[in-house]
Amino acid sequence: MNQPDRDRSALERMVAGDTRALEEIYDRHGDLLYSLVRRILSRAEDAEDVIQEIWLQAWRGARTYDPRRGTVCGWLVSMARSRAIDRLRSEGSRKRATDASGVDAPDPPESPAESAVDRQRREHVDLAMSQLDPQHREVLELAYFAGLSQSEISERLGAPLGTVKSWTRQALSRLEKLVPREEWL
Amino acid sequence: MREHRTEYLELCAGYVVGSLDRADREALEAHLAEGCAICEGEIRHLSGAATLLAVQSPASKAPAALKAKVMAAVEADAKAFRPERVGPPLRLEPPLAKRRPSYATWGLAIAAALIAVVGVIEWRANQELKKQLANTQASLDQLRKSSEEERSWAEVPMAPLAVALDLSPTPDAPGKIAARITYDPVSRRAVVVCTNFTPPSGHDYELWAIRDTGPSSLGVIHADTGGRSVVRLPDAGSPGGLAGFAVSLENQGGAPTPTSPAGPVVMLGKLRG
Repeated sequence: MNQPDRDRSALERMVAGDTRALEEIYDRHGDLLYSLVRRILSRAEDAEDVIQEIWLQAWRGARTYDPRRGTVCGWLVSMARSRAIDRLRSEGSRKRATDASGVDAPDPPESPAESAVDRQRREHVDLAMSQLDPQHREVLELAYFAGLSQSEISERLGAPLGTVKSWTRQALSRLEKLVPREEWL
Repeated sequence: MREHRTEYLELCAGYVVGSLDRADREALEAHLAEGCAICEGEIRHLSGAATLLAVQSPASKAPAALKAKVMAAVEADAKAFRPERVGPPLRLEPPLAKRRPSYATWGLAIAAALIAVVGVIEWRANQELKKQLANTQASLDQLRKSSEEERSWAEVPMAPLAVALDLSPTPDAPGKIAARITYDPVSRRAVVVCTNFTPPSGHDYELWAIRDTGPSSLGVIHADTGGRSVVRLPDAGSPGGLAGFAVSLENQGGAPTPTSPAGPVVMLGKLRG
């Protein structure tokens, strides 16, 4: 059974009220969600608040997961990113995080806790991102990590709105082709 | 089914990375709601790539204490929804002892009488059991209904387009009042969590929706003794005409008219503009 299948099996047990199933999924994806939320929110205590909210919502809303929209991990990541951006906006600290998400940001420190599989996936994604056109990469980072809308990105980059829309699609399509399917979450 | 147009495909990418502007997002949502297999496929296709972006975050190990907090919160939530916490446990009567009449020593008449007595006892036990089961079933139905309702409301913040909005206190706000509204534009439901909402004597706080046509009362907020209140709004209004929310301080009972606050506006939050 591969990881997405194990996640779905655990999610079914969560729906039935098994808290150990949630713990199982937490152990698989907890660090990824924490890393993502920490990147978006600079304060650790904000990140921890958001992480607690996310997992409680995942527990309560397990039956709302729709496999047609993606994997369980994708569902959790989407929820975490959305919650963190909400918190970022409500704190009015977008500038701080935007600055931190720039394309010139320093390389992330390697974590000793990262597994070999995770490290390999990261290397593949890093390589794929480095192969994107710089403006494509920046559009993705400003949207995903800083929570900017396309019109805000357009204004920031001085590019027409239609161009930003095209870049977003081209960037994601290219990323999808560059990362081997077995590395997908 | 609405006709597919290429322009929607371009919006799908912005949709999965959460960067669409409001008008584009609403247009795409409306398009998807009417059914478009091409765009649904595009969204599913691009969502996998969008998830990979999370891997770009510098690897951080979640603190062990955080997991303990998460699990404690989940366990507490699980207990709160466990049936035995709400209703009395089901207690069945102990089984009746089997009786073996000795037909060798008892006459036919006595045996018949015994059978009749046992039959009556069993019938009564059976009736009592049925009554208990009926009561238990009614309790479970009620519990299931309230549990479904709770879960239904818990889904509001998780709706794909749900927006969380912290209302800002105005200079007229007394004390440290705070309010957070989570609004799902698709179901139009909203949940408002208020803290420190203890009004001055003879007054009430009133919640308002700010629509393009003007303010509209959503009702008086009744807080508990600690000043806390959770207000559930089954219909906070259409996203097209909803600009934000406000709280005013009114004389007890609320503003005289439902279309205009009479007292000072003490909190304000805008969804747009």
